[in-house]
Amino acid sequence: MGVVRYEGLPFVARFRWNTGKIMEKFYGGFAERQILAAKCENCGYTVVPPRVICPKCSSKMNENNLVKLDGRGVVLSYTVVRKKLDGKGGFVTLDKPEVIAAVKLNGADSMIFAKIGDVDVEDIKSGMEVVPVWAEKPEGRLSDLLYFRPG
Amino acid sequence: MKVAVIGYAVSNLEWDAEKTREETVFEVAKSALENAGVSREDVGTVISASTDFLDGRTISNCMLIGGGGAYLKDESKAEEDGMYAALYAAQRLMAGVHDIALAVSHTHSWIFNPHQVSQYMLEPWFDRQNDLINGITLAALQARMYMEKHGVDELDLAEVCVKNLRNAAKVPYALRKLHDITVEEILESEMFSDPLTELMIAPPCDGAAAVVLASENVAEEICENPVWIKGIGNSCDNYLRDRDLAKLNSLEIAARKAYRMAGIEEPFREVDVAEITERFAHQELMAYEALSFCREGKGRVLIEEGMTEVYGDMPVNPSGGALAGDPICATGMIRLIEAAKQIRGEAENQVDGCRTALAHAQWGLCAQKNLVFILGDEP
Repeated sequence: MGVVRYEGLPFVARFRWNTGKIMEKFYGGFAERQILAAKCENCGYTVVPPRVICPKCSSKMNENNLVKLDGRGVVLSYTVVRKKLDGKGGFVTLDKPEVIAAVKLNGADSMIFAKIGDVDVEDIKSGMEVVPVWAEKPEGRLSDLLYFRPG
Repeated sequence: MKVAVIGYAVSNLEWDAEKTREETVFEVAKSALENAGVSREDVGTVISASTDFLDGRTISNCMLIGGGGAYLKDESKAEEDGMYAALYAAQRLMAGVHDIALAVSHTHSWIFNPHQVSQYMLEPWFDRQNDLINGITLAALQARMYMEKHGVDELDLAEVCVKNLRNAAKVPYALRKLHDITVEEILESEMFSDPLTELMIAPPCDGAAAVVLASENVAEEICENPVWIKGIGNSCDNYLRDRDLAKLNSLEIAARKAYRMAGIEEPFREVDVAEITERFAHQELMAYEALSFCREGKGRVLIEEGMTEVYGDMPVNPSGGALAGDPICATGMIRLIEAAKQIRGEAENQVDGCRTALAHAQWGLCAQKNLVFILGDEP
């Protein structure tokens, strides 16, 4: 039973978003190998990456709320990824599995999701302390933060 | 104003259905109206549920209006699970604006892999730039966080799958019907993102569902055995970086609201059956706790002791749940339909003496948003 299929026109949506001032500073901090968070003056919640509205009490925040984190963090949970999406809807089996973790950075109340490297997948554990690994010449871009490693 | 479910229909759940989306929606809409004993002219409002992203077209409801019989009617759309379309429809009836409503939902996952689309639910500047983060890997992080917190192991997750996939063997429309599946086979199925194996992940598929709702003004006139909506609760959690992923807080809040509205004080004793949307095996255990069927962290005890089997004290997902087939936008609506079937005594895995049933739908990454309906056999 064959049915006629219509394939979409080749169309790649490369969206471009205004990151806003606070995220601009966040990326900028990477040039100095620094991770910035926003601390809410009203409720004290500290969120990373920084946001302009406090996720807990909805107070307005701006660049004045930015605080520096020391970059160290703790693994709250992790997963060894064996199948990755290829961006076109297909699954690719990874020859070398990769690890991602939910990491709570020191001084932050929110968590981030990050790749974990320089570790055997058998050795990674929840509660493990991790530190960021930066690009050799950071330029103030998201890609400066390569991954986290035990440390 | 009280509202009842008076008719429903579910399509076959399959991969690569050889039918257009319009045909599938037309068939379930027509069947649901027939099941309810009403005509298209009797329907005041039609609400559809589909999503533009999964459908690969904007305003994805526009081509369902014909299939859903909605031309020149008070038509609208919910961009999420079909149970939200049913909620929207119920609210229109409660407001006294209409007496009969039709809610339809569909997803054809064959069009494009919904797991890939899950990346578009991520915050774009940081999370979406990480190509390893998607609905499955995040669910795996959630699973481990929950499991380590409460001493749950992979066997408990596999037991959930075995229960649901065996239940599904009797359900004609289900996709994964595995009557002799074992815990070992679940654990040995392909590893996606540990601890989640292929059979612990709800399989996206093609399918549609429809329900007809009626207000108390007309429900008993039209229908011999209307199934009454006794309680509704809805709640949406924070974005996943700001949530405790080890707990389904928004489901707990939604359930509490629905129980209060329905006058339920002891869910374990008063709810006869629950049909829930467990997109991943661990979420069923988390839902037991959020729905107050047990105390926090004790979800695994219910599965280990067989309490949530069809014959157990608190049957959950006698239809097989989402693990038996996940036509994304229709999945929660099918739970609502299966809960209604239990009250009418029409379910394939019928729970004896079922008078109160719970239906649950979720939306978002790691079940961010949750909707609960309580159904009963009396207004």
